[in-house]
Parts: sequence; structure tokens; C-alpha cells
Amino acid sequence: MGRIIRHVILGFALLLAVSIAFTPAAQAAKEVKIGFSMALTGPLGPAGKAALLAMEIWRDDVNAKGGLLGRKVKLVYYDDQTKPANVPGIYAKLLDVDKVDFIVSGYGTNLIVPALPIAMERGMVFMGLFGLDANAKFKYNNYFQIMPAGPDPIVDWSVGFFELAAKQKPRPKTIALLSADSEFARNAVNGARRNAKKYGFKVVYDQRYPFPGTSDFTPILRAVKAANPDLFYVGSYPGGSVGIVKAAHEIGLEPKLFGGGMVGLQYTAIQMNLGKLLNGITNYWFWAPEKTLKFPGIEAFLAKYQKEAPKQKLDPLGYYLPPFAYAYVQVLGQAIEATKSFDQAKIGAYIRNNTHSTVVGNVKFGKNGEWATSRTFQVQLQDITSNKMSEFSKEGKMVVLYPEEFKSGNLIYPYAKGK
Amino acid sequence: MNKERKIFLIVAAVLIVGSFLITTHMENRFYYKAAYVVLQYVVLATAWNILGGYTGYVNFGTAAFFAMGAYTAVALIKTWKPPLYVLLVTGGLVSGLLGLGIGYLTLRLRGVFFSIATLALAVVLQMIVSNWDYVGGGAGTAVLKPRSVPMFSNYDEFLFFVMAALAVVSVAIAWLIEKSWIGRGMAAIRDNEEAAECMGVPILKLKLFATTVSGALMGIAGAPFSYFVVYIEPTSAFHLDYAVNSLAMPMIGGTTTWLGPLVGAVLVGTAQQIATVTLSSEMNLLIVGSLLVGFVVFAPDGLVGLFGKVRARFAGKEA
Repeated sequence: MGRIIRHVILGFALLLAVSIAFTPAAQAAKEVKIGFSMALTGPLGPAGKAALLAMEIWRDDVNAKGGLLGRKVKLVYYDDQTKPANVPGIYAKLLDVDKVDFIVSGYGTNLIVPALPIAMERGMVFMGLFGLDANAKFKYNNYFQIMPAGPDPIVDWSVGFFELAAKQKPRPKTIALLSADSEFARNAVNGARRNAKKYGFKVVYDQRYPFPGTSDFTPILRAVKAANPDLFYVGSYPGGSVGIVKAAHEIGLEPKLFGGGMVGLQYTAIQMNLGKLLNGITNYWFWAPEKTLKFPGIEAFLAKYQKEAPKQKLDPLGYYLPPFAYAYVQVLGQAIEATKSFDQAKIGAYIRNNTHSTVVGNVKFGKNGEWATSRTFQVQLQDITSNKMSEFSKEGKMVVLYPEEFKSGNLIYPYAKGK
Repeated sequence: MNKERKIFLIVAAVLIVGSFLITTHMENRFYYKAAYVVLQYVVLATAWNILGGYTGYVNFGTAAFFAMGAYTAVALIKTWKPPLYVLLVTGGLVSGLLGLGIGYLTLRLRGVFFSIATLALAVVLQMIVSNWDYVGGGAGTAVLKPRSVPMFSNYDEFLFFVMAALAVVSVAIAWLIEKSWIGRGMAAIRDNEEAAECMGVPILKLKLFATTVSGALMGIAGAPFSYFVVYIEPTSAFHLDYAVNSLAMPMIGGTTTWLGPLVGAVLVGTAQQIATVTLSSEMNLLIVGSLLVGFVVFAPDGLVGLFGKVRARFAGKEA
């Protein structure tokens, strides 16, 4: 037994030596270190890598101009593997071992929430990337989230869809709701259900489908067709969104307005897969190459992104997440410049009290750190004639219908007419 | 009390006190969080080994027992926010009862059929939790950990201490079982169940005991999880990692003794923690995968077995 214990101790010693050998050497002085965890593998890996590229473009842009307050920016990040359980350890490492100056979040609600209490304990500014109401329980005043869902994200998400429906004549009367049985989709449809009540549409179908695990959507959509709804609001994830669009065409499902909360239709690969089948669908969107959405810097950013993305096999157009990944660090950088300080409280106060001009437009944060007003676009896909990538980088294909301020075209109604 | 038992209990007590003393001297929270994960795997691997190593019934459902403990705690936190020890006891009880029930239903199945049944248990429970809105359902829920705790400067240190104590206690339980008639009965079941039954070993009782103790320890390991991660949702609580790691660690360390899972969990768990922040995460999985394949092929008795063989060879030479 004595020998075994000696060997175990030897093993420990070796491990310790390895860990010390891997610890990064003292970093060059006077860098501003921004630390974060990012999903670089696992289900959110592909999107996380695109977000990282956007952040690297921001870093290079800032460093080309001399850095922040004369200090070069360095990104320090670790892969959280899309696992929330990895996040607390990573942020503790960033703060206690790497001694980063700022922390920002990884991608997605599940990976933001585990880091939020750590930011709270240290009183640090915490920029969030695509969290849905992540701060609801913590109510941390230095948390700011870049996805434009709005102050009541769950309800605001679908409000545009219902606004559009309510304006049509004759006014639609009934609605079918379908959602994947998982976090985001259920939230989106819960909000839609509340909006349906508010706008006075009668729910004639309201079901969830197992997620993951559903591949054939025809039986589900046949049931929807039998209910004959005027509106069809769907909360789905990428795989399901493709299946639902294809099945709807197969069985000839033609509600008057179709779409809503389908994730994935914004991804270039899925757009190229579905091509003409997308025509007529009205769905939430965050950015499209429309004339009303040419925010300062967005085109220069996308040019850099689109040059690099194919090399890394990322979403080639990058309209969905990357501009926001650029913007959330952009807000932090602007706040540091404006306050001429690295003081967390001052920077937090600045972000809270000002409007920020970013590549995704003007951003003003409200309560809970969400956008003060919702800016989730409702977009209708129109006039798509092929499956080529170039088709989706043109103006007039993803027409913004809501909010009014950013409107770039008119709704083709009913859906069958736009198909 | 014999001498060996005395020494073991003294070492256990020293380790618990030592881990408390560490919290009074070390500030760096990263090490607490990393150590928490490693210690959590010590508990899980030891728990797995009581059923899988001692008795020979391979359980693929570690995540089910772990998550059951975690979700029992979440349900309690949502109801009346009891102190942590209540969560640990209740998590252990619920998962222990689950182990007993599952054992009763499935222990007539042998080998791969038992393993498949445990895997199915994890899938079924995940579906149930995903649809249980009170604990957050599929969307998950944020859990606020207490702001402060007496005697510790922050909650991370407290959680580290609790998990260190649990690791020591679970290894002690495994040691006590191994050294008692129960352990010998379990080994007899592992080697030849029919022969053991013919010799008068109460096999059903022992198997039920193993599933219950193993399940309870896994549940206890899961109980503080929601405080550690602050946000709990079914995909991460029922992650296949728990099943794979809690199986791989005893396999790598050695399944027939209490020391095997301890060595395996510390080595593999530490390597994973280091890999997460130094190498890419693909390396993380590669480490476990290649170690598992390597050990199954070249050292089926794990590190402890390998050292035993080496020692025997040297002893032979010396003689």
C-alpha cells in the first residue's frame, strides 16, 4: 500500500508540474485584457466561433487606432463547450489567474447566467451576448445585453408579428401555435400566446413537438391544416425550422401569415438549402442588407468578416450573430474611451445612461440591462429565385416590415400570394 | 476498532480539517471551482464503483441520479430555501430511493440489459424534468446562492469544503463496504452470481444495497450543483459527461478497490480541468477517450492493478 501511495503522490507532482508549465507567462504590461468564455465546440460551437471572429475584428480595429486609452486590447478566452457547468470555473480563472481587466459573456442565455453572479460579486460591468431575460432574477445594474429583444423579451419577441396581423383586412381571427419543446422556442410561443390574447386572436391549435428528436413534421402540420388557422406562429430551432417549411410546402399548408419565431432561417446555409421555399414567410430577424439598416460601420465590418469566414468555415454572410458580437464589445470600448477610465462603476454608469452608436444601430439599455425598447424586426422573405448565396446578400429579399421606423417594403398578404 | 480502520478514519478527519484550513489561507477562487469539479467526480466515481466495480453491474445512468439530487435541491430551494445540509440529505434520500426502486425493477436484468435500463432511466427522467415547469422545465432556472455563510469568506470556498468532506465520506463508505462482509459478498456476485447464491450470499439484498448506496451518493453529489452553476437546465444536469466520466474514472484507476476511483477521478478530473483552460476542449474529450481505450486494452485492472503488478514483479526480483 505504501508504494501505491508513493506512486499517487508522484502522479500529483507530475500533474502539478504540467499545470505550471502550461500557465501562460506574465503578459506584456499595459494591455487591456478582456476575458470571456465562448462556445467553440458543442451545439453552439459554430455560432460561437463566428462571434469570436467578430470580436477579433473589433480588437484589430481598436488596436489599429492605438487601443483603448493607449493600451492595446487583448482577448483572453476559453471554450465552455456549450456546457454551463464549465462557466463558473472559466470566469474564476479569468479573474483570479489571468487577471483580466474586463469580462464579457459567452453566447446564449444558458452560458451567461452562470457567469452573472461572478460579475456581481466583483462589481464588474458585464456585457451579455444573446441572453433572453438572463438578468431577471439577479437584477444586476451593470449587466447589459445586446440582443434587441426589448425590456419584456418574451412578449416583445413576437409583438411585431401580431401588429402586422392585426392591420390586415379582413382582420384574421384565428391562430395556431407550435413550438419545439425547449427553452427558447417555448418562451417565444409563451409570449405569442399572451400576444394572441391581447390582440384578440382565437387559438385553435397549441402544441409542442419533442425536441430534439422530431424529423417528420407532416403529421403535425396536417393537424394544423385541419384546424384551418388564419395565422400560424412557430417557435422552432434550425433543424425543425427546415423540416416545418418543407412539410408546409409538401402538404400545401397556407395560413395567411406564417412564421414568427423560427430560428435558423437567418443562417446562410439554411437559406441556401430552402431557397424559394422561404418566399412569403414572415419571421423575426436581427439584421438584413436593407437600405434602412445601413448603420455606421456595419458594411466595413461585414466586408472583413466575409473575407475571413469562409477560411474558418463559418456562416459566410454572418448577418445574424456576428454584428452583435462586434457591437457588445464596441459598447464597452466606447464607454472606456468616453469615461477615460477603467473604473467599472463609472463605465457601468456611462453604459446605463447613454445611447451608443454601434454597427447594429443606436443602442440604449433599459431596466434589467435589456434594450430599452424592442427592436426585433419582422422580415418577410420575398422574391427569392434561387438557392445561390448571392441571392441572400441582395437588398429586397429580406424585407423589413416592423418596426415602422426601419420599414423597407410592404407585406405581401396573404402568405399564399408571396409563396 | 482494528488498527487499519483507525488509521483510515484519522486520515479522513485530517483531510476534512485540512480542506477547511485551505479555505482560510487561499484566496484564488479558480482553484476552488476547479477542485470542486474534481471532488464532485471523486464522489461520483466512488459511488459508481460501489455498484459497477464491486458488484459488477455497469450503470450508464449516473446523470439520472446526479440530476435527481440536483433537481430535488432546486425544488426545495424554490419552496423554502433550506440550508445546504437539508438539500444534501434530501437529495441523497430521493436518489437513494430511486436507486432502490430501479434496483428492484431491473436487477433481474443482467449485463448489458441492466446497463441499457439505466441509460433509459436517464432519458425518461430528463423528459419528465423538461416538462416540470416548477423547476424551470426545459428552459432551466437561475438559482440564487446565499450571499454569505458563517466561517467562510465566500460561498465558493464553502462549496469546496462541503464537496471535499463529501468526497472523504464517500471514499470512507466505499472503504468500509469493501472491507466488510458486504464487500466480499458483492465481489462474489461480480465473479459468479449463481455460485454466490449457492453459497448463501443474499444476492438480491446486496444488489439492492449497492444500487441504493450508489444512487444516494450520486444524489448527494448533485445536491449542491445548482448553487455551483447558478443556472440549472436539464441538458447540462443530465449530461452524458457524468455517465462517461464516472465510468471512465474507476476504469482508469481500477474498479476493484476504493483507491481506484479516487486515483482515476483525481487524475482524469485534474487533467480535464487543466485541458479546459490550456488546450482546446476537443483535447479534453480526447484525453478521457484515449485513456479509457488505453487502460481497457493494456491495463484492464486500472492504475491500481498496474501498480500491483509492477510491485509484484519487483518483489519477485528482490526475492
